[in-house]
Amino acid sequence: MTSAKPHVDDEHQVSRLFGREGVRRFFPIFLLIALAVAFSLTSARFLQFNNLMIVAQQAVVLLVAALGMTFVVIAGSIDLSVGAIVAIAALLAAKTSGSIGVLAILPACAIGVACGLINGLIVAKGKVPSFIVTLGAMVVYRGVVLFFTRGAPVSIENESFLDAYSGRTAGIPNSVLIALVLIGVAAFMLNLTVFGREVRAIGGGERIAHLSGIRVDRAKILIFVLSGLLCGMAGLLQGARAMAATAQLGEGLELDAIAAVVVGGTPLTGGVGSIQGTILGALIITILSNGMNIIGLDPYFQNIVKGLVLVLSVFITIDREKIGIIK
Amino acid sequence: MRIVAEDLSRSFGNTRALSDVSIALEPGKIHALVGENGAGKSTLLKILAGAERPDSGRMVLDGQPYAPKSVTEATRRGVGLVFQEITINPSLTVAENIFAGRLASFRRYWLLTRGGLNRAAQALLDSFSAEISVSQPLSTLDLGQWKCIEVARALSASPQAVLFDESTAFLNHREVDIVLEAMQALKRQGLVVAFVSHHLAEVGAAADGLTILKDGRKVGDYAAHELSRDQIQSLMVGRDLSKGLFPPHGAQASSDNLMRFEDIADERLKPSSLTLGGGEIVGIAGLKGAGGQRILEIAAGVAPHHSGEMKLAGASFRPRIPAEAWAKGIAYLPGDRTGEGLIVGASVLDNLVMARPPRRGPLFDHARAKKLSAALIQRLSIKTKAPQTRAGALSGGNLQKVVLGKCLAVDPRVLLLNNPTRGVDVGARAEIYRSLREAADRGLGILLASEDLNELIGLSDRVLVMRAGRIVARIEDPASASEDAIIRHMT
Repeated sequence: MTSAKPHVDDEHQVSRLFGREGVRRFFPIFLLIALAVAFSLTSARFLQFNNLMIVAQQAVVLLVAALGMTFVVIAGSIDLSVGAIVAIAALLAAKTSGSIGVLAILPACAIGVACGLINGLIVAKGKVPSFIVTLGAMVVYRGVVLFFTRGAPVSIENESFLDAYSGRTAGIPNSVLIALVLIGVAAFMLNLTVFGREVRAIGGGERIAHLSGIRVDRAKILIFVLSGLLCGMAGLLQGARAMAATAQLGEGLELDAIAAVVVGGTPLTGGVGSIQGTILGALIITILSNGMNIIGLDPYFQNIVKGLVLVLSVFITIDREKIGIIK
Repeated sequence: MRIVAEDLSRSFGNTRALSDVSIALEPGKIHALVGENGAGKSTLLKILAGAERPDSGRMVLDGQPYAPKSVTEATRRGVGLVFQEITINPSLTVAENIFAGRLASFRRYWLLTRGGLNRAAQALLDSFSAEISVSQPLSTLDLGQWKCIEVARALSASPQAVLFDESTAFLNHREVDIVLEAMQALKRQGLVVAFVSHHLAEVGAAADGLTILKDGRKVGDYAAHELSRDQIQSLMVGRDLSKGLFPPHGAQASSDNLMRFEDIADERLKPSSLTLGGGEIVGIAGLKGAGGQRILEIAAGVAPHHSGEMKLAGASFRPRIPAEAWAKGIAYLPGDRTGEGLIVGASVLDNLVMARPPRRGPLFDHARAKKLSAALIQRLSIKTKAPQTRAGALSGGNLQKVVLGKCLAVDPRVLLLNNPTRGVDVGARAEIYRSLREAADRGLGILLASEDLNELIGLSDRVLVMRAGRIVARIEDPASASEDAIIRHMT
């Protein structure tokens, strides 16, 4: 159903909006700096190198999962199975680390790819909305973890594994270095490859992309595989940091990942978005939690603040001119 | 009620849509506003109905000044509007659609009183003999009946004038008749009825008087019996324009069969055969749903489930998805440019290179994309500030040129066009026609499905006429064929 389109002189709008436009675009950075300043003023501990590395380490799992989510969201889909894939990957890494040590990265990534492939195939070939597919997948993958662990944690004791994935190199946590590499790869794929353009085109208009000769099904499968792969990496890092895989590991991570993507300025309506935004979003969410702990804010009050920050930042950053439908 | 408008003018950006147009609408008469796309007829009607405001000029309603700021205000003054687009919400009932936005008046203790609502809706439908029962599910009604529900919605405000903005544009001829009958019923009740149309058959069938517009100016007011269809046509188009609009036909088709349909059929298409040569523009005439669009969809890989054989340069060809057709050099321009043709949120450049992005291995080659899009912008005279401008900022005609540019960017062998100039102003149309003929002269084969007979006759080397999923006539020399002859085959 179409309706009469208003005549909008876009260029005029942009120039008039420039002030607001600036606030909109740079709000995530402002917010991040504001949080850092506020926390370092209230607690001297916040800006210490050690605490910053803790923040970085805490951010890593969320960030890596959110990188994959960025592709999914830009393509106009959603992946709710992120937390469960992280748990499955951590479990497989824990089980295999005893025998193959560092190489446990391979099964962790493989299971992530497999889970993502299943999601992608059902979404693309079965034409089932991604929300439903990954909602079901979330329950199934979590169920698989519960079935095999019977709810008991599986500890990781292999030294070389722990050294590689939760040790430090020159004072910097290895997990942070790995995340930096993954950020580079993700930014490269989104910004410089034809695949990245296809992701944006699909989010901008799936039918248009399809009719223009883009292999939408193939791209969508790849997107979910990529999300799964990154979840595999996130699971590996999370397992190494916790030195165990538990059945509850990664619970709620999908929502934090979506929050990180959205706070970073990528709208859920798809078509636009950036890796930089997601990095900022993940840092904001992590710093908020870390800072609230450091200044000793009532833990029972913290969720209220987190939720409010999420809505506030989208309220400010959302580009209402470009997003026709808000639902 | 009598509506008089004097010296109305309206500009959109640099385009003057309406220049000093005056018009008088009388009760108990049906008044048609005719003209080509972009002639200003819709703008005029929208100003009368409060949907647009004039830059200058004034309107008088029964002697009282009339300057509605919105459709709502116009409705309060007794002037109702029926839109061009379908505005029926299929998840509501017939009665709910009629009283959408006014359901509160059927409330008793916060509950909707269905009996009262349905009775009032039925009374409105019966008032112009719409022959629709409120109990019928919307899915069992056709588009003409949906339009009648919209008419009933306009009547629910007890208007004294009802204006129809190209309300028949998306209807087939049977559905059009239903709407025309509804207009006659309103006329008999003494209402002012005015409609915009570029189907001259409708104008002849319904109108008492007509105003012809051309390029935003009024050509004149006429009584319907005063002019023949040909006279209206030439007043609408203007001799000079009809000559300049279409480029001369090029060197005739090279005899090689570029594309061939052999008894292609599916659930909407009876077995159809056709050939398309390189350098040739083959038009497909027919009402909406007659099969022209289906032929394009099959060739483009959009509708893969069909019988029969398609051949491309002699080799059997059966695309299952559009990507396979594009890969073979078959470019497809769909009928709905903003819903199917291009992404309004992406830049002009993004859209131009969408179908086959320049690449180095897996990498997007930005430098080459820039060069390619600059060349296309120049070749098609696309008016955009920069290649990076958001496509949504462009006008309709330029948007369509971007979609055409997207097709030409892949250097196709076959170009499939579905109503390439629908809603495009005359200037942009001439440029599009010129580009199409140029492309054909370089050996491209073009299949052109269009509801615009003028365009089919002026541009095509041959025309196939379709009716009810079947090719019913093949016109080898469209330049000497009359519109009437083609319409006779279509209906």
